[in-house]
This record gives sequence, C-alpha cells and structure tokens, in this order.
Amino acid sequence: MTETELVRKLREAEGLAVIGKSVQRLDSLDKILGVPLYTSDIAPKDAVRVKVVRSTVPHALIKRIDTQSAKQVPGVVVVLTAQDIPGINEAYSLLPDRPLLATTKVRCQGEAVAVVAAGDLEIAEEAADRVSVEYERLPAVLSPVEAMRTDSVRVHDSGNVAKYLKVRKGDVKEGFRQADVTIENTYKTQFQDPTALEPEVGMAWVEKDGSVTCVGSMQTPFYVQTGVAKVLGVSPDRVRVIQATTGGAFGPKSDEMPIDTCAISALVAQKTGKPAILAYSRHESMIAHTKRHPFVITLKTGAKNDGHLTASEALVVSDTGAYASLGPLVIIRACFHATGPYVIPHVKTDAYCMYTNNTMAGSFRGFGSPQVHFAAECQMDELAKKLDMDPLDLRLKNMLRPGTLTATSQPVDDACGLEECATRAGEASNWRTKRLEFSGDRGTFRRGIGIALMYHGNSLGPEGNDYAAVQILIKPDGKVVVRTALTEYGTGAISGLAQMAAETLGLPIDQFELDRPDTASCQETGPTVASRVIVIGGRAAQLAAQKLKDKILTVAGDLLHCNPSRLTTRDGLIRHPDDPGWTISFEKVVEECHKRHVSLTETGFYMAPKCEFDPENSQGTTYQQYTYGAVVAEVEVDTELGVVKPVKITVAYDVGRAINPLSLEGQIEGGTIQALGYGLMEQLIHVDGIVANPTLGDYYIPTSLDIPEIQTIIVEYPGTVGPYGAKAMGEPPVDLPAAALANAVAHATGSRIFDLPLTAEKVLFAIKQKR
Amino acid sequence: MARHLVKLNVNGKDHALVVESTERLLDVLRDRLNMKGVKEGCGTGDCGTCAVIMDGRLVNSCLMLAVQARDKRIVTIEGVGTRERLHPVQKALMKYNAAQCGFCIPAIVLAGKNLLDYNPAPSRDEIKQAISGVLCRCTGYYKLIEAIQEAAKEIREVSV
Amino acid sequence: MSVGNLVDLSGLSELRYVKRENGKIRVGALTTIADLEAQPNDTAWGKILNDAVRKFGSPNIRTVATVGGNICAASSSEDLIPVFLVLDARVRTIRKSGTREMPLQEFLIEKRRTALYGDEILAEVSFPEPSAHAACSFQKLGMRNTLILALVSVAALLETDNARSKITRARVALNRLKGKIPQRAESVEKQLLGQKLDEETVDSAVKRLGDELALTSDYRASADYRREAAKVLFRRALMDCWHSIVGK
Repeated sequence: MTETELVRKLREAEGLAVIGKSVQRLDSLDKILGVPLYTSDIAPKDAVRVKVVRSTVPHALIKRIDTQSAKQVPGVVVVLTAQDIPGINEAYSLLPDRPLLATTKVRCQGEAVAVVAAGDLEIAEEAADRVSVEYERLPAVLSPVEAMRTDSVRVHDSGNVAKYLKVRKGDVKEGFRQADVTIENTYKTQFQDPTALEPEVGMAWVEKDGSVTCVGSMQTPFYVQTGVAKVLGVSPDRVRVIQATTGGAFGPKSDEMPIDTCAISALVAQKTGKPAILAYSRHESMIAHTKRHPFVITLKTGAKNDGHLTASEALVVSDTGAYASLGPLVIIRACFHATGPYVIPHVKTDAYCMYTNNTMAGSFRGFGSPQVHFAAECQMDELAKKLDMDPLDLRLKNMLRPGTLTATSQPVDDACGLEECATRAGEASNWRTKRLEFSGDRGTFRRGIGIALMYHGNSLGPEGNDYAAVQILIKPDGKVVVRTALTEYGTGAISGLAQMAAETLGLPIDQFELDRPDTASCQETGPTVASRVIVIGGRAAQLAAQKLKDKILTVAGDLLHCNPSRLTTRDGLIRHPDDPGWTISFEKVVEECHKRHVSLTETGFYMAPKCEFDPENSQGTTYQQYTYGAVVAEVEVDTELGVVKPVKITVAYDVGRAINPLSLEGQIEGGTIQALGYGLMEQLIHVDGIVANPTLGDYYIPTSLDIPEIQTIIVEYPGTVGPYGAKAMGEPPVDLPAAALANAVAHATGSRIFDLPLTAEKVLFAIKQKR
Repeated sequence: MARHLVKLNVNGKDHALVVESTERLLDVLRDRLNMKGVKEGCGTGDCGTCAVIMDGRLVNSCLMLAVQARDKRIVTIEGVGTRERLHPVQKALMKYNAAQCGFCIPAIVLAGKNLLDYNPAPSRDEIKQAISGVLCRCTGYYKLIEAIQEAAKEIREVSV
Repeated sequence: MSVGNLVDLSGLSELRYVKRENGKIRVGALTTIADLEAQPNDTAWGKILNDAVRKFGSPNIRTVATVGGNICAASSSEDLIPVFLVLDARVRTIRKSGTREMPLQEFLIEKRRTALYGDEILAEVSFPEPSAHAACSFQKLGMRNTLILALVSVAALLETDNARSKITRARVALNRLKGKIPQRAESVEKQLLGQKLDEETVDSAVKRLGDELALTSDYRASADYRREAAKVLFRRALMDCWHSIVGK
C-alpha cells in the first residue's frame, strides 16, 4: 500500500522531482521520538492551573453566582466571573450570539460560568466545586424540528433560525409531473464527537511590556488572536498567539474552544501575573466543544421509469445547539450538495440551521457533506429498488459529467473523474458479482454490498475570501524554512507546502524546515479549514518559492556569466541546458546572496477567484472546483443480533493531483475509519439536553480491532485551482463510508435504516419489522 | 495526605521519589521525571495514550497510583530509540509517514516494541491485538500496523 | 480524587495465584486478567475464563485489572461475575479477626455494594472443578470489538451424565437479569435440569429466559433489544456448551 504505480509513472513522465513522491513528512521525527511538543508538555513549571465552572442545565436563568467559599479554599489564586472581563464578553465564530462567560442566562450544558485558578489542579477542582450557581430552569427545546415551530421555546431573542437559504433550479412541480416514480423519505443523523486524542488546551502569560502571549492547541492562530484581544479589551497587536503542536483537530479547534482556552488563560495570567494553563479534561471537552451537526433531511425524489432523475425536493434541517458557531456555513455546504452528485433539472432545497438547547455543533471534517450524502445516497438506493435497477447503473445514468449542470446550475468542467471513480471502485470491489451473489444469502450471517458517490466543492467557496500567505526563507546554512499561519495538526499538508517549494526551487525535501505558526512572525492567512492548505496554501507557497527562484537564478546567472532565463534548478544544482560547464551548486549561490545582502525571504500571497452566484436561488459558481469520489462497502450482518461487521471498503477518489501519495493514503484511511465510526458506532447522546456519554468508555470510536480491509484507488483529473491540479482531500474521505455502509446493510437485510448510526438494535428491529 | 518514598527504575535509571498517596504514575512520569512523551488523553484508561511498559507489560499509567509502581522497571518513549538510532518500529513509522497528529504515537511505539520483544513474527491479527488498547483518530491504524510488520521483518533479518 | 484512607494491596503477591487443589480451583483475588489469559483453556473452566478475558478491556487493562477488583466492583459491567456465578464460586474474605466464606451470590448485594466490611478484603474466589462431562461458555455483546462495557453478556455451564445425554447441572448467569447486577437465572436452570440435550430443550430454555428477563431501557439500548440479544447470546452459549460436550 505505497505510492500508486500510476502516480509515480505520471510524475516521472512529467519530470517532477518531488511532487507526486511519497517523501517523508517533516514533522515526523520529533513526534516519533516523543519530544515535548504539545501545549501541556511545554507549560512553564510555575503555571497556575485553571478550572472552568460550567452549567449543569440546558436552559436556565442565572439568579446568583456565589464565589465566596471557592475564594476561601487555601491555594486558590483567583476566581473570576464575567464582571472581571476587561474587554468585551464575547467569544463567537460568526454570529455575535455567545458570551465567553455566562451572565444572566445559560443556553446549554457546559457553558462557562466562572473560572478558578490555583497552583495545584486538585485545589482548583475543589474550589470549582465550591462555586455555587443558582439556576432558575427554563423549558428547553431539544430538537431542531421542534425548534422550527412558531410556538417553540426561543433559544435566542432573535428566534431559532440561525441561518436559512435555498436552492431553486427549474420548477419542481413540473419535475414531479414528469416523474413516473416518486419517493419521499426522512433521514436523520447524530451528533458525532471529533475525539481528537489531545483534548483542548491553551495557556497564556503576560510579557514584560504588558502584552499577552498565548500558546495552544488550535487550527487558526489569528482567530484566537482576535478573540483574545476582544476579551482583554486591547488591540490585536498586543496579543501574540502561537500554535503548539496540536494532537488532532478535525474542525472544532477552529471554532470557539481555542478562543475560550486562551482568553480564559489570558485573563487569569493578567489577574495573577503568572502564566496560566487551561487544559480540558476529556469529560469537559466532550460536553463543551463543537460537534458534527445532527441533521434531519426530508428528500422527495422523482424519476422516469428508465431511471433519469427529474426532480428533487429537500428540506434540510441542522441542529447547531445553543450557539451558532460555524453552523451558518455548514448549512450552506449541505444545502448546495443536498442532491448528491447528479444531474437533476428541477431542484428545490430549503435549508435551515436551527438553534436548540443542546450543546454546540460547529466545524467538523466534512462540514455538512457526510450528512447530506447519507440521505442522498440512501435515497438513490431506495429509488433503484423501486425501479428494480442496479444501484451503480442508476448512478451511472444520472451522475455529473463534464458539460452537465450541478444543482446550482454550475457547469461541470473536464476535471470530473466521478465516472472513473465509480467504475473503478465497482470493478475493484467486484460489485456486480457480489451484488448478485450476496442477494442469495440465507441463514444467520448475511452479506451485503453498497455503493455511494459524492462530490465535494473545494475550499471556502461561498463562505468567504479564500486566500493564503506563505513565507519561504533560505537561511545562510542553506536550510529552507516554510513559515505560515496555516497549521499542521496531523494532515501532513504543511509538509506538502514544503514539497511545493522544493519542486520549484529544485531542492531535496530534507533541506526544508517548518516554522511554528506565530501571529508575531506570520502574515494573516485565513483559517486552516476546508481542506484548503494544499489547494490555496500550495499556490501561495509556489508564488513565494518562484520569487526566491528568480532571485537565486539572477545571482547564479551573474556568477556564471550567462543569461539566467534558461537556467534550471534540480537536486540542488543550477544548470544551463546548453553547456554543462555552466553549473553551480544552489548552496554556493545562497552563500553569495547572503554576501551581497540579497534578501532570501519571500512571501507568496494567493487569493482564489470569488465564487459568483445569485444568492437568492443559489444559482451559479458555488465552488471553484470539485473533488469526486466513490465508496463501496462490503458487510456481513449477524441477523440474530443486528451486529454489522464491515468486511471491506473500496474507495476511489479523483484527487486532481496526488502531491504525496503516502500522506494522501494516510488521510484517506484515517477519514474512512472516522466515517466508519460515524456510520456504525458513534453517537454523542443528549438526554433532556444533558450529554449522557461524555467519556471514551461510553462513546465508541473504532479501535484497531474494528477496521475492515481497505483498498484505495487514486484517480487524477487535474483541477484549475490547486498547484499541479491538486484538489482538496482532507475532508472528502469522510463523506461517503457511512452512506455506503447503510446501503450495504440494506442489501444484506432487505430493510432500510433511515438514521445513523447503524446500531445493532436498529438493524435487528429493521430486520424483524420486515419479516 | 500521606507521603511515600517510592523507588522505581525508568528507562534504565533508578529514581527515588517522595510521592503523595493519590499521585498517579502518569503525573510522576510527566511532571516529576519530565517524561512528556507519556500523554493524558482521557484520564480514565480508555484511550491508551498514557501507556508505558511496566515490568515487560503495557499498562495505562493514568490508572496506576505512583505507589503501585514501586520497584518496577518502566519504559517510556524517551527510553526507546534516539535521534541517531531509531528503534525499528520508529524507523518504519517514519518510512510510512504514519505519524499524523502524533499524540498516540509514543504509546503505539511502546505497544509495537513490547510485542516484538516477545513475538518476533507476529501476524497482522496479533499486531492489531497488541495495539488494541491505544486509540488513534487520524490514521485508521493501517499504516501503524504496516510499520510494526515491517519492523518485525527488520528485526528478524538483523538477528539472522 | 478525594478518598479517606487508601490502602494499596498490589504488593500482596501471595494473593496472586491459580491453583488446583482437591477438586477445587482457587483463584487469588489479586490474580490479574492477564494471568487468567495465560491459563490453559483445555478444561471447561479454562475455556470460559478464556472466553471472558479475550473480550475484557484491552491488553493494557488486562495487565492490571484483577479478579478481586472485578468482583468487588459489583456491577453489570464486570464480566467475571457471571462467569464465576455459573462456576458456583465461593469467595473468601479476610480481616484481622479471621476469615469468612460465602457463595458469590451472597457476597454481591446490589450495584456497587458487596458484603465486605470496612476492614475486610476479598482474598480468594474458588469453585469446584467441573466434571469431564461439563462445558461452559461466555458470550458478550458490545458496541464495538474491544474496550467495551457489555451491553449484554451471558455465561452458561452445562454438565451431563456419562452418556452425555441428560443435563445433570445447569447454571446460567447474565450481566443483567432483573436489576443492575449480574444474577443467575434460577428458573431457567431448574428447567434445564434433567432435560435431554436437544433442540427442544434449548428452545424452551431460551423462551424461559425471555420470560424471566426484566430489563430496563436506557440511552444505550432499549429493554426490548437487550432481551432479544440476551436470548440470542444464551442460545449461542447453550449450543457452544452442547458442541463441547458432544465433542464436535
């Protein structure tokens, strides 16, 4: 399972030295040696430990907060409430709906109400227990559908709709008139916890000049800088934020939590004059941080007898919990992708992001796409069943191809590998044979095979300005530093930026180093989200490297007494194609540059073209390019217990260009298993608004004993935006496995489950009801 | 709170420490002996990122009191391989770009090393069993398993 | 963590043993799950212990978790309790003033409460060695393949006459029967006694168990599902025993 033959051959044919090669990641060694890297590892010994007092009820007025007995616990250095906030008591991502510390009301369990700090964590915990909060409970709204009712409890004064948008294409009434067959179903998905292995943590200290420095586990240092500055009531240049090595993120560490951990630590640091560290316990983390939005999706689909889709009508509703976080953007992606990757002339989608008194939902790898693809792909199979068609054939009939239009009427360009993904996944998984063979299974253990297809609009699309800044600098010793506020948290993408620069500069990858993301030394660069580091960051890295290359070659030309315009650089040597005598080492030229005081520090800035579309009906270019994929899942169902055993998952993705096949496989494999958990075993359950299972002993993510066989197929249809045609691949691997598993289970059992996860109980009762 | 003198051997070096009754082995290793490679991912024994080798077996240090470690021989990631000479499991993890966020990696290395110390030719299933007490959210486990398999091969070839 | 007095027993190596003596198997309370894993599984009791420990926690947990710890935790998550119940286990406790012995059932009072006095420790669990015509089985269902709390777990022991046709002893225990603690399904055991080892016997025993179960629903699973799963696991446990006895 190393570099695919195809990719390697392509790269060699193009003469690329580093791109497309499975070079080693630059951040591996320290991690593998266990060097102290993560925030808790590098905390100063004299840091005070911070503990947050959190709400224990889903919706209530705060009548009184009594901190007296907490203050009296020996060893407590400070107890804070909202009154102690010097700046503005706000910590939100998009909508100004969330305070840092609650004042008169709490809207979900786990809201921060007070803060305690002590030299010893146990003392801080004891004191936190002694803070007494008097609540006057309010009725709570706990489902997004209920939240839509006009008589529903209001989570915010402005009402329960955090965001609404729609897609209108053609005329669905006409579309359904044309349909020979119409089906309608409602699908539900659950809260999924990100379960990064490192819980949230942030620390802060006050510098001699009174400014504050924060270090933490996060995805977006500049968001944290803005957030902390607001709370402290200072200008952002008085707050420095450094991302420490981050032990997994998946989205939520770009939302509110890093602002909370750093701002709260900063407050404590300011009040005590000592460094302060706030490290969440796992229990606290699972209650407080953002999770994947649960969705309720009602899909009505019409098709002709020959299988051609004529109409899609969708009501897409998400539960964003008490505070919107990134909900208003998640619902946009969900709304635009709700039909699945198919050509449908008449589309009507209404999408609502609803407030409830559940805990917050926000960014999480996939960002609405896994949810809508679960619904859309189950629906395709239900339609196939009604039409008595093979599910792959039905998809081949309707899938997006170059020249066709998406649900937002965006023309699909030639960089569309969906069909190849579908057919190759079908072949590799032995689809047709197994579909037939498994249908004959009788007895206790029944096998099933299911397929799902997706498309994933790349990067931010309609969500905002899509830009990145990457600085490359060459040190006197020849080492090349990549410096950016785009962050590494496991994806390997930042090493990918070094690969871009290595290719442009003609240097081996082991000459590169990654600098630490630091607001003091890096240019603002937008968030590290939406799988955009390679696609957008990569362009910026190339621009920076190109500027450096131009400088280097100019000096090289001078040293060689030749025209620099035809000089090439590869493997650390600068050569002229005409004369082997005109050769000089890169190292020598760098030395000369430093002698001549030629600055070898360049910043590349890239901004993607804006997506132009009609915001009323969501028609137009909603994303600059798309990643496509197909997943086939094979299962064996124990029909007496309902237990689903995943046997094999075959995935095929059109990645545009594989920059580092090994790292890419790692992302694909990891995403597949994260989605397998989503499909089969993960559910963060709220009972009356209280999280019932906020522990890893009761919330189950896949272990090494739960993984099936996996086969990865990489397909390349180079896109127009990313370097070398690369497409976003951080998130797409989580879009489909749950849907494919659901379809496989339906095949095995003959009955459909309309909600995730596919627990044994649901499977068993679906089987029994069918009988 | 009572205090106890505990002698333990960590990565080949003897230590004598005065610990409190409720101090966990995890806290002693991280805070007193500066072994920051031992992580706290959950504190309830469910994630395994705190795992260390104690008297030849993998244990979750968050579930052990420091006093329970008296007279034991403990190996942490700091005692496995060096920058100049990586353990075969570490070498293989590098080769496969298997470390993503890295948080589970110290425990995975220890689990892999411990397995290979006892079983130089483990099957894929045995490798999966050996790491089944360590959760990973990034890799899906595949490259971790391959790395351990490759390390086993290297160890066998070297010893021939 | 806030406790009164904490006494660490882990150094008491004299309580860590698995011995075969005078037709009894004696297991010291500080025997770890890993110690049990190392026991040969070619006997009925060795097999059921093996069935249970293979699905117990993770390797990291098995190294330190003990038999005594499992039993004294007294909850439906403790897999060894149903196993020892079907083995007709007795426990021995020790305090300064002497020792006590009682059946395991008596020792377990309710969820998280045993018969231990404040100055007493559990020293040993022992059970009569099952005869050559006995077989045991442990079945467990959780939400994934390892590191799971049992949603449902079933332990069974069947002993037959020399002809291997009639059941002379039957023991059945589940992690939950009527409450929140493992219990023996005594009416099912009575029903099995004296029956022939055949399909009809298995069917009626499964039905009887279904009638005796009084489970509750919670956010993890409904009572209905737990009952269905318990019946299936019980059937599988009986079939497993049957096959072992008949030597398939």
